[in-house]
Amino acid sequence: MLDIIGKRFWFFLISGVLIVIAVISLSTFGLKPSIEFSSGSLLTVRLETAVDFTEFQQAVADLGHPDAIIQKVGDADYLIRTEELGEDAKAQLEAGLTARFGTLSEAQFSSVSPMVAQETARNALIAVVIAMVGMLLYVTWAFRKMPNPFRWGSCFTIALFHDILVTVGLFSLFGRIFGWEMNLMFITGILGIVGVSLDNTIVVFDRMRENQRLGVSADFEVVANRSQIETLSRSFNTSLTILITLVALLLFIGGTIQNFVIVLLIGLIAGTFDSVFVAPGLLVVWDKNEWGRFLPWRKSSRAKA
Amino acid sequence: MARRNGIVFIIILVVFALTIWALLQPVHIGGFVREDLRLGLDLVGGVHLVYQVQASENVTIGDSIDRALITIQKRIDAFGVTEPIIQKMGNDRIMVQLPGFTDIDAAKKLVEQVGFLEFREVEKNAAGGLVYLKDYLSANVTGFFNQTEMANRLFVNNLGEGEEYGKFVAFLSKDQTGALKFTDINGNAVDNATSLQQYGGVASWVPSRGSDGTPLTGDLLSDAQPNLGGNLNTEPEVDIKWNDKGSVIFDQIAARLYNPTDVYSLDHVLGIFLDNALISAPQIRAQAFFGSGVISGSFTMPEAEELANLLKSGALPVQLIKPPLFQEKVSATLGEEFIDMSWKAGLVAILLVMAFMIAYYRLPGLMASLALVFYGTLTLAICKLWPITLSLGGIGGIIVSMGIAVDANVLIFERMKEEFRAGRTLGAAIEAGFHRAWTAIWDSNVTTFIACVILFWLGSAAMRNAAVTGFAVTLFIGAIVSMFTAVTVTRTLLRMLTGSGLARKSWLFSVTGGKK
Repeated sequence: MLDIIGKRFWFFLISGVLIVIAVISLSTFGLKPSIEFSSGSLLTVRLETAVDFTEFQQAVADLGHPDAIIQKVGDADYLIRTEELGEDAKAQLEAGLTARFGTLSEAQFSSVSPMVAQETARNALIAVVIAMVGMLLYVTWAFRKMPNPFRWGSCFTIALFHDILVTVGLFSLFGRIFGWEMNLMFITGILGIVGVSLDNTIVVFDRMRENQRLGVSADFEVVANRSQIETLSRSFNTSLTILITLVALLLFIGGTIQNFVIVLLIGLIAGTFDSVFVAPGLLVVWDKNEWGRFLPWRKSSRAKA
Repeated sequence: MARRNGIVFIIILVVFALTIWALLQPVHIGGFVREDLRLGLDLVGGVHLVYQVQASENVTIGDSIDRALITIQKRIDAFGVTEPIIQKMGNDRIMVQLPGFTDIDAAKKLVEQVGFLEFREVEKNAAGGLVYLKDYLSANVTGFFNQTEMANRLFVNNLGEGEEYGKFVAFLSKDQTGALKFTDINGNAVDNATSLQQYGGVASWVPSRGSDGTPLTGDLLSDAQPNLGGNLNTEPEVDIKWNDKGSVIFDQIAARLYNPTDVYSLDHVLGIFLDNALISAPQIRAQAFFGSGVISGSFTMPEAEELANLLKSGALPVQLIKPPLFQEKVSATLGEEFIDMSWKAGLVAILLVMAFMIAYYRLPGLMASLALVFYGTLTLAICKLWPITLSLGGIGGIIVSMGIAVDANVLIFERMKEEFRAGRTLGAAIEAGFHRAWTAIWDSNVTTFIACVILFWLGSAAMRNAAVTGFAVTLFIGAIVSMFTAVTVTRTLLRMLTGSGLARKSWLFSVTGGKK
């Protein structure tokens, strides 16, 4: 029989590396907030024909917006992000661009005041915290009849934080390269991850719960390994079907929900890996009280024993 | 058992047929009318605005916001926007969504404009002489010249030409200590010495009041219509009709200001002001008007229509702070592209998921795929009939939930395979698979519900983000529908199969080496 649980410390190592990458990326690059969180205006203009990007950038700077962040999307759509743009300032900018590049249409415009931005940022934080606490409470309650419900709940929590940290960290890393921003759909994606990741963990833990009740083995390690193998194809298959839908969304829609899809994509992979391989491993470590093995200087003594 | 299953199967077929019927054509059942799927602003294009209401001491916001919503609704109705949404958010905010209306500047003007119509006349001093701004600017003036009229004085550029004509200059009011104070349109103090000197020749306007002291304002109007009149019926103007009280007051004022001669004189002028700017300053040439009047100015026809609409809907009882807290506009073409891409994404996603399920689980996978099609039509039908506004986020939610919907099937089929390998008959394996997968299905859906509720709250707060609330709503509905389709529908279909010959071909169930 496949021995997954035996390699648990290898999986911990992979997780550890991912977490280190995430933490480094977050502390150096951080996350770039969208106008929904930091206020400002986002104007998308559509030109008849594409123009040179740097020329466009220069034109916007010349029109009095040297700090504007510009992105080209699609064929000839240009996203211009500025500080909060008044009616006159917007009209001026559009007139200036028209004079330079010919007819343009305003495809999209949104503007967020600092007050709303602040509230939204605060609400997003509250939402993520409440969602996590709410789901964890439910899961702990659902596993209440097991011995050590606190232990199960803790492993759910650790798995969840792991997923969020890795997802946010990788998003910040790729975001740096591709210019992604953290917006409300990003937060939606994070909550989606909280849900999907917990689902995966629930399925594995549910099976462990059942197998332990059936008395498969006195050794918790055997129970865990068997449960992992039994749920392996389910975890992969479900992740795969969700992955299919996400790729379809990413290929066709992109646009405003792009962030959401990317967050879900990263989180789905991280979440599946972690609930299949890491979370049950943690339970076993806890059961066998192997915490010492995380400390390298005690590894030798453990090996002797 | 088999008979009961047959009945369930028929019910499922009927519901499926109903969803198709509801989706393919407009639904009209009595007063219940659903033309088409209701699409959000980001898909049909439109304008989304959130305003903060200006708090002021003497107005209780709660009640006036409700009246403001009605006023805004009336103004928008004149433009024939289909299904505009005008709502109060929290205690002191107003949200306006105008699907299909993509001129954001016009939309803002329509909503923001206070539309306060009032009639003023030139202040007279104790000796009956006209009062000008320069009189107040001269030294040693400590009180109003007309000491019975205590309302603020309004100065507008009534000497200006063209665009400058009638523009707001300043207010003059008494503060709590009784001292005179010049303020700008937002109530901030103005340095009178320098900036106002150039307007010394403009008149000091005070409210025109009836005998009982009621000022003549737009509140007393009963109707306003744009019309061609004046110079041989070529100049657009607005005909107004007063209500009973307005008629009486207007005639009292007319009798007082009546100009018996043809010589233009500020003594006999009734100034018409909209939002503190002078529209026109006609002479009063009749002593009674019997409830009607005309507002002329140098209007174009659209301007006259706009003014009439504004006057008919009444003044906003609250001030909205400009610029809006949140504003968004999506062009209709961009929306169309999103719709097109959404269909493609949805179709590709469902086909690939079905292909995977069939390839991996064979016959049960096919059943799950059928259930998935049913899931899609049922979810969309619910969205249409409810109706739920589908934003891009909502469509994303539906598409992602197709991937999640088959999760229950995957859980069940995996269980089924195990039970089958453990030596149960196909029928028993199916029942056991469904029975034993249930706790995991339920637990994972509860976490989805929790996430949806919180997301809905997040999306509704602050700016009402349609993408986030849309996602939350469709995912929630999707989760409930999927519990029905993935469990009940798939189980019914599989039970039908157990009785048939197909059940003996174990490869169809992707179970190789089955013991039985």
